[in-house]
Amino acid sequence: MKKSFILLIALFILGNIIHAQDSKSSRTQFMVRGYGHAGLDYFKTPDGTDASYVGAAFAPIFLFKQGNRFMFESELEFVLEENKLEINLEYANLMFVINKYLMIRAGKFLLPFGTFMERLHPAWINRLSSKPLGFGHDGIAPASGIGLELRGSAPIGGSTINYSIYSTNGPKLKDGSEEPEEAGMLNFENYIDNNINKFIGGRVGYLPLNNSSMEFGLSYFTGKVGDKGSIYEDVRASLWAVDFSYVKQISPIQGVIDIKAQYNQTGVSEAYYPEDEEHRDSTDFYTFNNLSRAYYAQLSYRPSMAGNMFLKNLEIVGRYSELNTPEGSDWESNINELSFGLNYWITWRQVVKINYGIVNSEGGHDAEEGAGKQKSNTLFVHWAIGF
Amino acid sequence: MKKLILISALSLSVTALAIYSSSCTSQREIAAQKSGAELWGQNCIRCHNIPSPAAYSDVEWETIGLHMKERANMTKEQIDKVVMFLQTVN
Repeated sequence: MKKSFILLIALFILGNIIHAQDSKSSRTQFMVRGYGHAGLDYFKTPDGTDASYVGAAFAPIFLFKQGNRFMFESELEFVLEENKLEINLEYANLMFVINKYLMIRAGKFLLPFGTFMERLHPAWINRLSSKPLGFGHDGIAPASGIGLELRGSAPIGGSTINYSIYSTNGPKLKDGSEEPEEAGMLNFENYIDNNINKFIGGRVGYLPLNNSSMEFGLSYFTGKVGDKGSIYEDVRASLWAVDFSYVKQISPIQGVIDIKAQYNQTGVSEAYYPEDEEHRDSTDFYTFNNLSRAYYAQLSYRPSMAGNMFLKNLEIVGRYSELNTPEGSDWESNINELSFGLNYWITWRQVVKINYGIVNSEGGHDAEEGAGKQKSNTLFVHWAIGF
Repeated sequence: MKKLILISALSLSVTALAIYSSSCTSQREIAAQKSGAELWGQNCIRCHNIPSPAAYSDVEWETIGLHMKERANMTKEQIDKVVMFLQTVN
């Protein structure tokens, strides 16, 4: 852990040395970018209240460009989790531009399954301090994968189409052997192939207007998820997502309106899971229709054309998101969240976000039996910077 | 079946929109004539605020340009114009 941190610091210094020397262009370029954030989180749940400073999450991005066609890019994430420093490799991939319409990526990359995780999740880009329901821990959508991808974009008349097709090791089915209450869930943080079958996925995005203000996207991702040699070997997952974006400066309202939305659906084919760990060798098995859905819709407005400097740096944002997990599973849940935020942009890449959220939930594997519907409130005050 | 119908409907809609757009010559001309400044203002904001040209050096904009071509799915013509604009005014 300590060694990794020292190595990171060394890389950071190296990047800055190169930065100081790069008055002339060269074929080899190295750059450190990234983002960080810190803040205060307040939760009020039926179990009580909690308020804690969180922070100093640090996510450096290393870009190594060789010539005009080759790049290696990597992002690390350093974050304190329960007094321990956690280091995660968000992505690390090689990229080569084949021609003007196609590039290839290999390694660990953010998956273009919708747009939130690939483009919008960094703290200085995400308009709210939290992710929409269905993303992140115990989510139903993938964030990254190890594999190979072909992607590109092309103009079609006045519009633009972008496309991606990829293959990864894919997520793994949780069969309940480790956590019985999670039987049937997909582990998206599994990067080792647990069977010979590879996941295949892709996304097509279409920007119909010549000012690129609007984009529709359709994503698909499928493959087998069970361990090879197990009774789950042929269990298959099929995921799809639809995303939408509209961002435009509109004179009559004196500012920029930003609409984002994504719908995700995750289905896993029929499988039978043991009632609990003690009965794994018995005949007490159960099954359910393993279909999960999540979506979010977000609207933000910034009066960027206002005459007053303070006003033009303000932004208001609202988001509704919902997550429904399979009925009959031990992790059955229905959750919705309504969040509002007031952001102040100190610079184009530095923001202070004040967000308030109301969460209504029922079920979930962490919920106590018979807990019924629960309501929670959250308040986040975060300061984020991109660099 | 329901899912298949929905996916097919969406695919057909995207295809129809593509055909419609490709038949519109004026749209194509407008898109082709866009300057780097226009593309900078219209594309960066799709995900984040419009960056200040002065934030990075000429060399750094080249690196960021390649990174953003991939991340934002911009075409080669679009990203080349944006990088050239940023290098001119930074």
